Amino acid sequence: MNSVELIGLDKHYGQYHALKSLDLTIEKGEFIVMVGPSGCGKSTLLKTIAGLETVDTGKITIGGKDVTRAEPGDRGIAMVFQSYALYPHMTVAENMGFGLRMARRPKAEIDVAVRRAADILRITEQLDKLPKQLSGGQRQRVAIGRAITRSPDVFLFDEPLSNLDAALRTQMRVELSTLHAELGSTMIYVTHDQVEAMTMASRIVVLNKGAIEQVGSPLALYANPVNRFVAGFLGAPRMNFIEGTTTEVGTDDALVQLAGLAPLRIALRQGATVKTGDPVTVGIRPEAFAVGGSKPASCPARVRLVENLGRETVVYADASPLVTSGSDTGTRNVTIQLGSAVAVAPNSEITIGFDPADAYLFGSDGATLTPAKPEIQSR
Amino acid sequence: MTIWWRRHRNWLTPALLLAPGLFLFLVVIIWSSLETFWISFFDWDGMGVKTWVGLANYRELLDDPQFYVSLKNNLIWLLMFLLAPPAGLAIAFLVNQKIAGMRVMKSLFFMPLVLATVTVGVIFTWFYDPTFGLLALLFRAFGAEAPALLSNEHLVTFAVVASALWPQIAFCMVLFLAGLNNLDEELIGAGRVDGARGLAMLWHVVLPQLTQVAFIAVAITIVGALRSFDAISVMTAGGPFGSSTTLAYQMYEQSLFSYRFGYGAAIATILFLIMAVFIAWYLRGLIRAEKGA
Repeated sequence: MNSVELIGLDKHYGQYHALKSLDLTIEKGEFIVMVGPSGCGKSTLLKTIAGLETVDTGKITIGGKDVTRAEPGDRGIAMVFQSYALYPHMTVAENMGFGLRMARRPKAEIDVAVRRAADILRITEQLDKLPKQLSGGQRQRVAIGRAITRSPDVFLFDEPLSNLDAALRTQMRVELSTLHAELGSTMIYVTHDQVEAMTMASRIVVLNKGAIEQVGSPLALYANPVNRFVAGFLGAPRMNFIEGTTTEVGTDDALVQLAGLAPLRIALRQGATVKTGDPVTVGIRPEAFAVGGSKPASCPARVRLVENLGRETVVYADASPLVTSGSDTGTRNVTIQLGSAVAVAPNSEITIGFDPADAYLFGSDGATLTPAKPEIQSR
Repeated sequence: MTIWWRRHRNWLTPALLLAPGLFLFLVVIIWSSLETFWISFFDWDGMGVKTWVGLANYRELLDDPQFYVSLKNNLIWLLMFLLAPPAGLAIAFLVNQKIAGMRVMKSLFFMPLVLATVTVGVIFTWFYDPTFGLLALLFRAFGAEAPALLSNEHLVTFAVVASALWPQIAFCMVLFLAGLNNLDEELIGAGRVDGARGLAMLWHVVLPQLTQVAFIAVAITIVGALRSFDAISVMTAGGPFGSSTTLAYQMYEQSLFSYRFGYGAAIATILFLIMAVFIAWYLRGLIRAEKGA
């Protein structure tokens, strides 16, 4: 049975179109992560599922029941908030049992549920403390515990880890994944952190300007983005985008001219709508670049900046006339990610290259023109 | 000089900034209080020779029926004034609703705060006037005769407190409105997800967030009730037959009109002691809140 179904959700804030006719079906037990840039509507969408915001039109069902107009407390959901939103005057145990208390469950049952949740999250020692006596990570656990205690059909998480430091965030990420495996409940998780999305999601929903760009497993989205937006949003460092033109379009491939490179032959997917002379964008992931002349398409470049991260090296190189657009760094440099610590001196001249088979081609409307790539590369 | 300044500015800057306020506080509050306490042991008309009488002023006070009238009236003020925080909270909830025209309503409720207490007193005196007042018109509309509130020794204090309550409620409303603006929206959301609604939401989620504000509102209201003076002075001058005096008014009356500064000082000392109890309670709460935050 479908756990959550969103049908044609539409919402305006005054003139602002926050959600644009959204459709999404979520299976029971899925871990859905919604990502997108600030203001893309991901938090609004989560709040409409929770019932904290209303929709203008559309329908929301949870567990097969129409809950579009139901109160948040009647939807069979629990939510973990960014600020934890613990009741400051209640002890940890009271916080966790509050939902059941409001549902007028017997005290013994509440105690059992609170104990069980506290055991799972290892916060049994903190049950009599007040939220202000706890650290950030412990508060986060209590907030999750409060959600577990209600044994909801669906867990909603609104950027729950964004107030934690890096080490704690990694730990909580692993714990949340474990918790999901243990409980088997449906979880919907909103974040702007793509590491959280890639590591925890069974499916990622990429949102942009109030609409869904793409839904799929993390690797599917990474290997086969449907458009330039998704390609640019997932992956750090970001994909290199290079503007060019098609000089010749065949049935299953096209010749693309980029400044500073010999024409590239790039495969086209079935039904790709592109004509000779169209402006197109070539996308190359930083890890698809190599230093040295080993790759089919190569050009000289001057190293501008090297980031040695130990396990990997990120090189920013000026390869003009080959220039990128819309990069993270705000420059027109090419970003190259090398798989190990490499000695590359700033300002040195190097040759960079890539295999056109690794390149993505995007039409002027942003849609991907290249055929599907394997999700796991055989190397 | 500069090196000396740099070395000491960490404590000199706050000391210099605090000095004027501290000086005024010492002279106007501390020194005056101590002097008042001292004067309360003398028989003094304010100009002539002071005669040491020991505790005679206090002994006289305990036998003075007027003192008990004042004490009783202060209690009435206190109890009635304590209606202001809940009433202010209720109005704050009301005008905090997102309904067209609420801005105008808010401004109207805010009105008494921009009026001087004396003005409010004068307006209410007209309002209570048994012949031409608004109250008289209202009573007449129902075919009844309006009571002369300010001339009735049993009703006069209640009538005066009612006039002083008006701005006090508005003041509490403003405090609570500020508190309502600071409500944690995610906490309200958490309450809704947990199924709290209506009174349960109010009691378990909203009111606990307003305790700080409520504490300030209650404390200021209590102090306001105890030092009540201006409304009485304008509306009744303590009458009829001294039936509407409070300790503060009796002190003023004794000192300035009966030229009994020693006796007035004794009343002031008693009033100070009563207030000290509440101030101690207030400071305790304040310190506790600061530690908790």
